[in-house]
Amino acid sequence: MATPRPVRVMDPLNAEFWAFTLDKELRVQRCTSCSKLRWPCAAICDECLSEAYEWVRLSGRGKALSWIVFERSYFPEYPAPHPAVAVELDEGPIFVCTLPPGVDVDSLTDGQSLVLDWLDGEDQFGEYNLPVFKPA
Amino acid sequence: MARIDRLKALKDTVAIVGIGDTDYLSDYRSGAKGNTSERGSGALDAYGLAAKALRRALADSGLKKSAIDGISVSGMLEESRTAEVLGLDPAWCHSASMASDSVIEAVQAINAGLCDTVLCLYGTAQRSANVQYGGPQASGQLSYSFYAPWGMTSQGGLYAMAFRRHQLMYGTTEEQLGAVAVTFRQHAQLNPNAIMYGKPLTLEDYLQTRYVARPLRLFDYCLVNDGGVALILQRADMAKDAAQTPISISGFGWREADRENTQLRPRLKDFYHSAHHGVRDQVYPMSGFGPKDIDVYSTYDSFSTHVLLTLEGFGFCGEGESGAFIQDGRISIGGELPVNTSGGMMSESYMQSWNHQVELVRQLRHTYEGGPRQVAGAEVGQYVFDGSGRCHSVIYTRGN
Repeated sequence: MATPRPVRVMDPLNAEFWAFTLDKELRVQRCTSCSKLRWPCAAICDECLSEAYEWVRLSGRGKALSWIVFERSYFPEYPAPHPAVAVELDEGPIFVCTLPPGVDVDSLTDGQSLVLDWLDGEDQFGEYNLPVFKPA
Repeated sequence: MARIDRLKALKDTVAIVGIGDTDYLSDYRSGAKGNTSERGSGALDAYGLAAKALRRALADSGLKKSAIDGISVSGMLEESRTAEVLGLDPAWCHSASMASDSVIEAVQAINAGLCDTVLCLYGTAQRSANVQYGGPQASGQLSYSFYAPWGMTSQGGLYAMAFRRHQLMYGTTEEQLGAVAVTFRQHAQLNPNAIMYGKPLTLEDYLQTRYVARPLRLFDYCLVNDGGVALILQRADMAKDAAQTPISISGFGWREADRENTQLRPRLKDFYHSAHHGVRDQVYPMSGFGPKDIDVYSTYDSFSTHVLLTLEGFGFCGEGESGAFIQDGRISIGGELPVNTSGGMMSESYMQSWNHQVELVRQLRHTYEGGPRQVAGAEVGQYVFDGSGRCHSVIYTRGN
C-alpha cells in the first residue's frame, strides 16, 4: 500500500498528468499551435486559445525560488513541521511541491539547483507517484 | 488601456454620506455563533449583521431606507436575497468581491444614471460557519487546494512564500516585518471596538509568537470573525445636504494580475507590482494626488506581507525598501504615513477590507478630533487592495 496523501484535484486532464507519474515521468501540456507550456492542466492555451496540445516530458531540473515550513498541521497526512518549495523549472513554469523526507529545508539557498525525485502516493483516485524536488 | 481623461470626469462625482459597522469586540467575546444555539447577545447571521450595520449607516446619514435605489453586496450576502431580507427596492443590484470594487462599481452605476444612492453592504458569519482558508476544507482559489497532495495549502502559505522571496531578494528580516503587526496592534489599543483592544503587542512578544507558515507567525495573520459593514454612497450634488461631512471619492483604479496565478508567478516573480503600477497610473492621475499627498493610508492586510508589497508598488518607498521604511513609527498614527489606523484586519476586524473604508471616512471626517486616534488634519486617504490576482485602489478626500 502506497503512502496516503491529501486528495488530488481530479478531472480528465489531471488524470492524464497523474497517469504519467506511474512511469515516473513529469509531463506538462505544450500547445501545439504556439508551443507555450501550461501548468496546472487546462483545456485551452492561455496564450493562443488553441485546444491542441501534447504532453512533453520535462528535464526535471530547476532552481529554488522560495520555500516555507508549515509549523501548524493542515493535513493529517502531513504533520508539522512540513516544508513546501516553489521551483522555477528550467523550462519556465513554477512548480510548487514539497521536499523528500530527510532534506533540510533550511539548508536551501536562493537559486539553488534542484532535481526531480519521486515519492509514492495514494488517494481515493488510486495510486500514483508524487513529483518532488531535492538538491541536485 | 485605461483612459485617464474618462476617469478624471468621474472625480468627486460621488461621496460617502453614511457608514455603519457592528460590535466586533463584544460579538467576538460573546462567541457570536450565528445560527446556533450558543448565540451571544448580539449574535446574528450574515444578513442580520449586515442589517445592523445598515441601520447604523442610515442613522449616520439621516437618510431613510427608501432613499436607497442601488445596492452592491459582498461577503456571505447574495444580492437578491439581501434586497428581500432588508426590504429594499433598488433599481441597480450588484454582487461585489471586495469593498474597493463595490465602491468603484457603485460610482459607475451612479454616473451611468442607473441610480443615485447606493448601499454598499458586507456581511459575514465566517467564524460561526467555521470557514477554512487552508487544509482539506479550503475554499477559495484553486491555489488553496491544488497543491494539497504536496501538503501546500492556504492563503497564508502563499503569502509566506511571497515574504520568503522578499527576504531572499532584499534581505528583509522577520524583525522588520514585525513592525506591521506591532503597529496595527498599537492602533487597536486606541479603538475600543477592535478585537485586539486591551491586548498590546511588543516586538519581543511578536518574535516569541509561534509560526504558522514559517516565516509568517500567528500575528502576521488576520483575525477571523463575524460582522457587517454598510457604506451609503450618493451623487455628489445630492450629498451636499448630507447630515455628515461628505467624503468624496476622488480617484480609483483597477488592474488584474491573473496570468499564471495558480503557479504563484504574480506573487513570486513580480510581488504583484505590475498590477500595483497599473492602478497607480490610474488612481493618482485621476485624483490629482500622489504618494506624498496621502495623509492616511489603508491596505488589505489578511497577511502582513501585503503592507510591504503595496508600499513599494505605489511608490511610497523603493522596491526592496519596505522593510526599512516601516520602522521607527513611520506607519504609526503621528508618523509620516499612518497605515491601518483602526488596527486593520489583523487587529480590529476581518471585514475583508470593508472596515478600512469606514476608518478612512472617520479619519477624513475628523471623527476622533482631539483624541490620539485622529490623524491630525487628514484631508486625503488612500485604500489599496491587492491579492487574489488583482489590485484596486480608492482615494477619498474630505469634502469642502
